[in-house]
Amino acid sequence: MRKGRTEEPLKILVPAEGPELSAGVSDRFGTSPWLLTIDAETMSFETRRNPGASGQKGAGMQAVAFAIGENIAAVLTGYCSPIVEKYLTENGIAVVKGIGGTAADAVSQFKKGPPEPQLLESRKTALLKAFTRAFRQFSRMLPMIGGIILIIGLFNAFVPKKFLRAFFPGGMGWDTLSGALAGSFFAGNPINSYIIGGGLLAQGVSLFGVTAFMVAWVSVGWVQLPAEIGALGSRFAIARNVLSLIMAMGVALLTVIVPGVLLGGGF
Amino acid sequence: MSPQQQKAKSRAASPLRAWLFPGVVLIAYAVLLTVLPGKTVTALKSSGNILARMALPLGLVFIVMVLMDLFLQPGKITKFLGEKAGIKGLLLSAAAGIISIGPIYAWYPLLKDLREKGASNSLMAVFLCNRSVKPFLLPVMVSYFGWIYVLFLTFFTILGAIAVGISVGTLTKE
Repeated sequence: MRKGRTEEPLKILVPAEGPELSAGVSDRFGTSPWLLTIDAETMSFETRRNPGASGQKGAGMQAVAFAIGENIAAVLTGYCSPIVEKYLTENGIAVVKGIGGTAADAVSQFKKGPPEPQLLESRKTALLKAFTRAFRQFSRMLPMIGGIILIIGLFNAFVPKKFLRAFFPGGMGWDTLSGALAGSFFAGNPINSYIIGGGLLAQGVSLFGVTAFMVAWVSVGWVQLPAEIGALGSRFAIARNVLSLIMAMGVALLTVIVPGVLLGGGF
Repeated sequence: MSPQQQKAKSRAASPLRAWLFPGVVLIAYAVLLTVLPGKTVTALKSSGNILARMALPLGLVFIVMVLMDLFLQPGKITKFLGEKAGIKGLLLSAAAGIISIGPIYAWYPLLKDLREKGASNSLMAVFLCNRSVKPFLLPVMVSYFGWIYVLFLTFFTILGAIAVGISVGTLTKE
């Protein structure tokens, strides 16, 4: 990495074809050969080879991670995907697309002000955007929540309580183990585990089993294990998941026992 | 078919996929209603009761989601995962895990990159385990289990996640 200066009040990130300010702005943010971090005040700069230059899967996200980590104020690029743009803007980084010419020209143009209205607009519409994103996320949760509520209704009406007793016999240890194992094989939004947990509790399953089930649902993921191994390595992924399974059981035991001891009486 | 076309096709199919599970359950209801109408109506009433109980907490969940989207930027906090600042690093990693939203696989590229920059395994594990604590979903949890339970569960989960993080860091030390 080559260094210009270290003080940077306003850092601009420009994907470029070469490691100089005279290099052309690249068309693709995620896969450009170089990333230039330029101090907009002094035009001093640092260069870095773009980790996504080879164009492999997730290239854009690596550049996004770099931008977030470097506390970049704005990205000036020829083009970037809507997903990359979304991640950048959600993290307070302004994105200006359709930029051509050299990296130096792009930053000079940025300093003159055209992107300002865009920044102002993004502040004005922040609430609307937050509302829209929350609504989108919320509406994605609803079909699954509806399905789970309906299936719990069926479960309550059709499945005899003695069936559940086979999995949750009632002892503190067995219920905790069964709950943690069951939860670790499911994945998805935690809210679904709360609804199922509430249903299990209503069916007479102990709070030990229900708590272990809910904690393991999110913290242990045997289904996602291959993805975690791919990103963070097998040693890390296996150690984390095994220890998280043990943690789910420990948390369940403490959560149910400690309030009983401290406050007198259980839940 | 080009990869772009395949991606577009899978994106178009995803909303349908979201309705697959509730759709199958509804078909099951329709079939059962013809075979065992009495019990099926009981099942519907039971589901209706659960839905009525959840309406208010779900409304609160939506409001908290908007506020969190407006004021919190999990991506910015994850940069502290790279710091070797002891307790500070652990607490910031826990905070980042707590406020992180979205599916876990969306975070893997970011975590991978942070790790390449020097973030420790302990902090990665603390981040991942603290995803169990979801402030915006607490209204639903409270409606089922009560405040005291939720407070103790949250406290022990954060503590447990930090313990797992430290253990993973020790076990995976090169």
